[in-house]
Amino acid sequence: MLPAPIPDYDKERLAALREMLILDTPPEQRFDKIVEFAAQEFDVPIALISLLDENRQWFKAKVGVDVCETTRDISFCGHAILQPDLFIIPDARADERFADNPLVTMPPHVVFYAGAPLPLPSGHAIGTLCLIDHKPRSLDATERAILLSLRDLLLEELANRAEEI
Amino acid sequence: MNMLLVEEQPLLRKTVSMTARSLGIGTVHEAATVQAAERMLLERAFEGAVISIDCGVQDGCHYNLELLDKVRNGMSASDATIPIAVMVDQATADLMRELRDRHVNRVILKPFRAKILLEAFESFSAPAQKASQRTENGVTRA
Repeated sequence: MLPAPIPDYDKERLAALREMLILDTPPEQRFDKIVEFAAQEFDVPIALISLLDENRQWFKAKVGVDVCETTRDISFCGHAILQPDLFIIPDARADERFADNPLVTMPPHVVFYAGAPLPLPSGHAIGTLCLIDHKPRSLDATERAILLSLRDLLLEELANRAEEI
Repeated sequence: MNMLLVEEQPLLRKTVSMTARSLGIGTVHEAATVQAAERMLLERAFEGAVISIDCGVQDGCHYNLELLDKVRNGMSASDATIPIAVMVDQATADLMRELRDRHVNRVILKPFRAKILLEAFESFSAPAQKASQRTENGVTRA
């Protein structure tokens, strides 16, 4: 397993995330609606808004999992925030970076993963909007565009929330 | 292409509109209510429309065909023959007959997915070609 790499700019990224005052806050309907919509649209059992803290990923909104966080080193989202585009793993069991990851070998048994990074205006990605399935699959061009649109709508909601605080 | 989407769910509406733009399918104008759609239909010509005809919780009203009638009877700024798809909870024989009478091109059943609505909008730009694809794929048509 390749642990989620820690980027050189992580200190600044964490400062931007913590300034948002969103970590460990209660669920909010506006975010719950987005993951519920994503799960239905893509017909996946799990959809998450995952925020990458220093040593953990914490779920602001979730469908299909009971836990509210996992360690950062095993997170798929820790990989996804390192690139500007969608991060897609069609079959984690066949990918040496993830094949023996506990999230793959044990519940929730991640097989397919697609994560859209959530960049702030500063350029730092604080987390992802992600889809998970228990079977291999891919996303076609339209589905990729839909996921990016949902990500952009989520970024709008995050910006609105920041203004309200 | 300027197209119209009449649908009350904001997340579905916005996702379709934004994705249509990013994929270059066209400009999807959003109407959350029948009243808003009526205004927009008077003000601008559209080259296609996807219309939710469910009345929701209104007493005694299952479907609202008023918008369809206005377009087909030439009471809008659009050509009366523009392609129209309708979104509906369930398709009864009576409703399908009503839709066929109004020359509806496609019926979209629940669960409503952005991808299906985008396919409908995309088909408006190449109706003949896409119509044959839809038939091959077995998608319900009125």
